[in-house]
Amino acid sequence: MTKSPTLLLLLLLSQFCLAQITGAIPSSSSIANTSTSDSHHWTAFHNPAILGKIEKSELAVLYENRFQLSELSTKTIQAAYSNNLINTGISLSQFGYSHYQEFMLGIGWGRNFSNKFSMGVQFNYFTNYFEASNTYRAALIAQFGLLMQLSPNFNLGFSSFNPFQSNIKAEFVVQKIPSIFSYGAEYFFCPELVWRSQLDKEVSSNYRIASGFEYTMLQLVVVKLGAYQSDFLVPCLGLGLSTSAFVLSFNTEMHPLLGLRSNIGMRYQIHN
Amino acid sequence: MLLLIIFSIQVVAENRIAVTKEAIADMLEQFSAESEVAFDYNSIYEELISISQNPINLNHTKREELERLAFLSDVQVESILAYLYQFGNIKTVYELQLIEGLDMTDIRRILPFIFVGEGGNENTKIYWTDVLKYGKQELLIRIDKGFEEKSGYLSEEEPSNQASTGNYLGNQFYTCTKYRFHYKDRIQCSFSAEKDAGEQFWGDVHKGYDFYSATLQLNNIGRIKTIVIGDFRANFGQGLVLHPDLVMGKSSFALKVANRNSGLKKYSSTDENNFFRGGGFSYQFGKIELSAFYSNKWIDGDTVNGSFPTWKKYGLHRTESEYRSKQTINQQLLGLNSTINFSELKLGFTLVHTALDQQLQSEKSTYNHFYFSGNQQTTAGLNYRIRLLNLNMFGEIGRTDKGAMASVNGVSFSPTSEVSLVALQRKYSPEYDSFYANAFSETSRVSNENGLYLAAEIRPFKQWKIVTAADSYTAPWPRFGMDAPSIGHSYFIQADYTAQRNLTMFWRYKYDEKQTNDGLTDAKIATLVPTYKSSLQYKLCYTVGNFRIKSICNVNFAQRNSEPITQGIIFAQNLSYSPISSTYSVDIRLQLFDAIHYENRFYSYEQDVLYAFSMPMVYGIGSRYYLNLRYNCNQSISVWFKIAQTVYADGRENHSTGNEMIVGNRKTDFRMLLKYLF
Repeated sequence: MTKSPTLLLLLLLSQFCLAQITGAIPSSSSIANTSTSDSHHWTAFHNPAILGKIEKSELAVLYENRFQLSELSTKTIQAAYSNNLINTGISLSQFGYSHYQEFMLGIGWGRNFSNKFSMGVQFNYFTNYFEASNTYRAALIAQFGLLMQLSPNFNLGFSSFNPFQSNIKAEFVVQKIPSIFSYGAEYFFCPELVWRSQLDKEVSSNYRIASGFEYTMLQLVVVKLGAYQSDFLVPCLGLGLSTSAFVLSFNTEMHPLLGLRSNIGMRYQIHN
Repeated sequence: MLLLIIFSIQVVAENRIAVTKEAIADMLEQFSAESEVAFDYNSIYEELISISQNPINLNHTKREELERLAFLSDVQVESILAYLYQFGNIKTVYELQLIEGLDMTDIRRILPFIFVGEGGNENTKIYWTDVLKYGKQELLIRIDKGFEEKSGYLSEEEPSNQASTGNYLGNQFYTCTKYRFHYKDRIQCSFSAEKDAGEQFWGDVHKGYDFYSATLQLNNIGRIKTIVIGDFRANFGQGLVLHPDLVMGKSSFALKVANRNSGLKKYSSTDENNFFRGGGFSYQFGKIELSAFYSNKWIDGDTVNGSFPTWKKYGLHRTESEYRSKQTINQQLLGLNSTINFSELKLGFTLVHTALDQQLQSEKSTYNHFYFSGNQQTTAGLNYRIRLLNLNMFGEIGRTDKGAMASVNGVSFSPTSEVSLVALQRKYSPEYDSFYANAFSETSRVSNENGLYLAAEIRPFKQWKIVTAADSYTAPWPRFGMDAPSIGHSYFIQADYTAQRNLTMFWRYKYDEKQTNDGLTDAKIATLVPTYKSSLQYKLCYTVGNFRIKSICNVNFAQRNSEPITQGIIFAQNLSYSPISSTYSVDIRLQLFDAIHYENRFYSYEQDVLYAFSMPMVYGIGSRYYLNLRYNCNQSISVWFKIAQTVYADGRENHSTGNEMIVGNRKTDFRMLLKYLF
């Protein structure tokens, strides 16, 4: 009987500490969640401009767990369809457990403009469910993103999640959905080594500053190392495996207060 | 091939306004970034649009013509003239790169306003058949409306409005209609009618628009250089006597501190105060130019027994009490200017007499002890400019009929093409108070200030430009909010980097130190405490084809005396799409701000509909975004739309105060402009 309030409390605490108020936004496979400028991998509900950079259609699944509690996990499935005119992405994520759940369904479009920059928009339908009142509440959320290739080895990304500050309005309360501005930079020292940094600002929360390196060995194994600072400094570590069709990734981060957070993902690229 | 050329010309013409608007936006953004003083930027905007419609032929230009381009410094004007003198006609605009002191940013800015070719705006006879055939007319209709209902529009029965002193008489619409006609730059006339939001358009109190304006300007009619009839402005010297137009004081155009003597010119803006109504002319004989003008208009004020405490300059007549003070005082103004122009020396004398039909009697306190009182004022000023090779000296000395003096003197010097320097000294006595003075100053008043301003522009490397300025000033008499003599300093540095032709960025740091009252109510002797404010801004501009992307981050810090430092930050992301051959353009901005305290407020320039200028102030926590659209229905009709919304995320349940109060955390504004060319 005491598990539900405890979980809710932990959920709120984690949201406060991680500056990510909604569990339905999955973490990305980029080190330290530096997905805004990651020109190689599009993650659902992150920068939709990256969709425009996709050259092959793909399918991906992602599972994320927070603090080794199965109730605080996010499951995501995403699909991207690439063509010459505009790329389309569909994504669905689910977070929570029987008493409280969040769902987000999104459809986005991205286009690359002569490899100089790409732009994307996404519309998400966010729903939450409270078992206690057996009610579903929903809101429509917009996303907007840009990725600028300022030089062959330097990219600058911008993304905005929920810029119009849509919220879920219940009878007596308003549940805030985060409104996040993100700026990210990506620099390739060489094709194997990339350095990414990112600044996130949720409109009424603290900043999150993240930075990390990803190094690809033997064109197969990717080692990731980084950290981010929000209220605490959180170190991040990741591993990846990349073949011509499959990309596997495993990321972890150790929050000094709340513990381990990890995500595992698999991406399958469809050869057109 | 012929079709291609014709198409290109048409495309260029269609796109010229868009390019001009972008250039003006860039310039005003640079200027407004350092200025928190509200000013009628529309005039400078309209002036530049007008130049872009009648671009300057560089091969047949004069200093006066180039000085109309407000963003060019004196040194740059001199460099262009020197190049033309030395090498003759310019063959192509690409040659501009060879002119010393002009970098790619300057050239990009100047392009919409110039061309190179044969034939100029000679002083030829005007034929009415040509005027009727080639004259261009445009009709502009603009409508603005806020979506949320403000407290002032609620009926008296509404409980939230019980505290208000008087409701707005009119509806929430702002409407403005303008008609313009111009034949080259020789004949220009316009008519404007405007109603502000809340003003009554048709009712018991008022019928029709609240403000009407009409003007006619003729240029170069024989020896008569300019004739203006109707509403006009007159700017002479450095602004100690008369300069209702914008003064480019402290800005990121650090070298641009000398006011240009632009003489008489038509007024077609909608600022309801800062203009003259009557007529004037400028007559040229030899090196001497003589200007005379007369104005007779009504101004606003609360009159009681033949006197009024203050001149109300807002031009808003929304409530009964505001309407009662509308046009209650008659103001007459007679002015003369004589300027003699040698190749290296220019000397001018300006005399202005102002008469009011009622006494201006402000309620005296310490800070306004020397403010003008009475109903007659005469001000005279002597201005000069001396050019000796790379040295340019300028200044003015002004005197009122009560013996109060003010002077401003400056020098700009360019020892090499990479380095330009400016120094400006001003000394305005506390007793000096002239109605239309507007010169280089820390505040909007040209009074009670002594100071020294130094600035430098350096191009140390090919892609870099560094601009820096320092200003130190004192106020020998108390000012508003400073009950004792005060001092202040400000420092500014900006580094511009042009990485590629399509990628530019800058870093700007500004530091201000001022004094303010300590706020102790029981203090017997007024004491001041220092306030500090610094800001750091980064801006990146990236152009790809028809897209233009701007990323801006601005952070500021404020501190009063030894109180804790407060901080504000703003992020803004712009995306503009303006295809050359298309009939539409789009401009989007997303902005997030986190500036809890008023001291950390931000003013950010926004793109707007044609001829409109917007620089909203934001503070608190929230986001703001807008969408700006232009659509050319055909060659004659174009429409602009703008919708902007501010959403506060700091838990506030209402914002603004009094009649402007809005319940809720959102503020939405809609604006539409229709342009009809015929």
